[in-house]
Amino acid sequence: MPAILEQISEALIDGMSKKVQGLVNKAVEEGIDPKSIINDSLLVGMSEVADLFQEGEMFVPEVLVAAKAMNKGMEILKPMITEDDLEKAGKVIMCTVKGDLHDIGKKLVTMMLEGAGYEVKDLGVDVTPEKIVEVSKDYKPDIVGMSAMLTTTMVSMRDSVSALEEAGLGDTVVMVGGAPVSEKFANEIGAHYAGDASTAVKLANKLVSK
Amino acid sequence: MSKKNAFPGGLTGGQYTAISDSDAKKIHNASMKVFEISGIQVNDETALKIFHDHGAEVDFKRKIVKADENWVLDKIKTAPSSVKLCGREEKNDLDLTKKKVYIGTGGTATNILDLKTGQRRPSTLNDVQNTAKLVDALNNIHFLVIPCYPNELDKKNVDVNRFYAAIRNTSKHVMGGVYSPEGIKNIANYAAKIAGSKEALLRNPFISFITCIMSPLVMDRDYTEMMITAVETGLPLATPTAPMSGTTAPASLAGTLVQMNVESLSGVILTQLLNPGHPVLYSCVPTTSDLRKGNFCFGSIEMGMMNAACAELSKFYNIPTYVTAGVNESKLPDMQSGYEGMATSLLCCLSGCNYIHDAAGLIDSGMTVSYAQYVADDDILGMCMRAVKGIEVNEKSLAVDVINRVGPGGNYLFDPHVTDYMETEFFYNRVSDRKAYGSWYSEGALDTRQRALERAKKLLETHKPLPIDKTVENEIIKTIPGMVKEWD
Repeated sequence: MPAILEQISEALIDGMSKKVQGLVNKAVEEGIDPKSIINDSLLVGMSEVADLFQEGEMFVPEVLVAAKAMNKGMEILKPMITEDDLEKAGKVIMCTVKGDLHDIGKKLVTMMLEGAGYEVKDLGVDVTPEKIVEVSKDYKPDIVGMSAMLTTTMVSMRDSVSALEEAGLGDTVVMVGGAPVSEKFANEIGAHYAGDASTAVKLANKLVSK
Repeated sequence: MSKKNAFPGGLTGGQYTAISDSDAKKIHNASMKVFEISGIQVNDETALKIFHDHGAEVDFKRKIVKADENWVLDKIKTAPSSVKLCGREEKNDLDLTKKKVYIGTGGTATNILDLKTGQRRPSTLNDVQNTAKLVDALNNIHFLVIPCYPNELDKKNVDVNRFYAAIRNTSKHVMGGVYSPEGIKNIANYAAKIAGSKEALLRNPFISFITCIMSPLVMDRDYTEMMITAVETGLPLATPTAPMSGTTAPASLAGTLVQMNVESLSGVILTQLLNPGHPVLYSCVPTTSDLRKGNFCFGSIEMGMMNAACAELSKFYNIPTYVTAGVNESKLPDMQSGYEGMATSLLCCLSGCNYIHDAAGLIDSGMTVSYAQYVADDDILGMCMRAVKGIEVNEKSLAVDVINRVGPGGNYLFDPHVTDYMETEFFYNRVSDRKAYGSWYSEGALDTRQRALERAKKLLETHKPLPIDKTVENEIIKTIPGMVKEWD
């Protein structure tokens, strides 16, 4: 494997966007297949990031910076490949449910999922069950991720799951998280629970591989 | 890419003062009256003669030494204001001076909570090795005072084996109590082999000794004989005294400090009479008694306050401190061991004591050590050192540009300012659980003791201390009397 691919991985792990961009451009000029640049260096680097994060060696802000570097590299390569060439881990809709405006946890999960290779559509905060249904019909996600920070807004999760069922999308895999949410609550409403951003990625991997 | 310790030993304390400068002066004045009127009892002929030859008032029949303030101040003048205690690796060197803070373990417990069964049993030489190895792996413990006693060995062979078991398992500084003059000589002898020569050892002393003084006001015969032998080796020395408020010292905390000061200074004086300039610590273990039943207290809050006050006393004399904190009365690593240990350790760290010992692993009033407790205490000591570092206020940390850049409703996670500060601004606990309830529950709902024990086991399995050169090790085992022959 060309040494430059390894250098891209290293620059990505260090979160150096500009260096990643420069090296990706150089690799393209050298005639390396864009698909190989993605699979053999960008994704390899991100997978290493995930491991280091799990071990506590990398912190959240570092993971986010690495994910940003990954995206910068992808921006260069995307026009050179077809949609089908891209090995996506899966498609995810993320939102903070109706009545709730807290979004730092949801943003974190979004970034971590993107870093792990997911294509994520972030619907923002205060998202109604109707909106979730509408986007789900169109986007056909593998997973719908919902976040709530308040016990009072947690019930919107139940409403959203019901709305999906009523719309005939009862097979949609739903993942929930947030301070008041528990495993038990998730089970009650027919959803899956993740306690934090890193377990959310692990859970998503498990759910899409089913 | 292991994270660097942002809160290492050697940070400057002094944020808390247990007593004012004028109170320190009052305690000094009161101590001088005790020195002059009651004096100290010295049960060693050689020491008595030395005190006499240097001009103290000695009653050989009653074995009492008295002196006035001028004499005392004149004799302690030669004690160095800074003492260097080294590790076998330079990164572990300690520079004891001013209000620099270092914190570590203590001993000597005779029991241990077994790693596998959790049951209390007599400690062994293997436990000395394992506790040293564990401490070597824990970043927030800055030195090793040998924690436990090898009960299976003949007393005459304890010194050489106990020290060696510690030295070969940590490259941090090793200090320890001693049991015989021969032991002291033999330890100094093989330490020189490890260092390369006696000169190299004394230039970078990676070991030091502890010989005790008895409260109230007694220099015991055996300990004083060992103190003399220890000074002859040239290695640094702590001469602690452990008065207990209410039983072996006055019930008033100030009174305990007065008596303790006389005792601590006596140790300093004898070392300076024997060898002016000898590296010695102003060594203090003021404790209390629980007067409800008469029990000894190693974890009382008053103990923390008195030990913290020693920082002010030692600054008055300009001699580095050796104090005591972090021990507790609990029989298990639990809430009591946590809150008692944290209280006294934090007070001593913030007061700027230089060498705070006993602060990791010890429970049961110092009678027992626990592997889990070392790991929990590593978190506690890290938190203490974080507090010592304080809140840095400067243009960059005030972050006006950053706040404006992120603006109302934004978040800071994506700003480079976070990355700049995340490793140096926060202490990251290793045993504390900060997960969401669900994650904690699904990972086994472990309590602190279980998590600490797990980490202890993992570190003992994986950590590799800096070994002693094989040729040197074989020579030590072959030539030093009483050495255990098989080491692993």
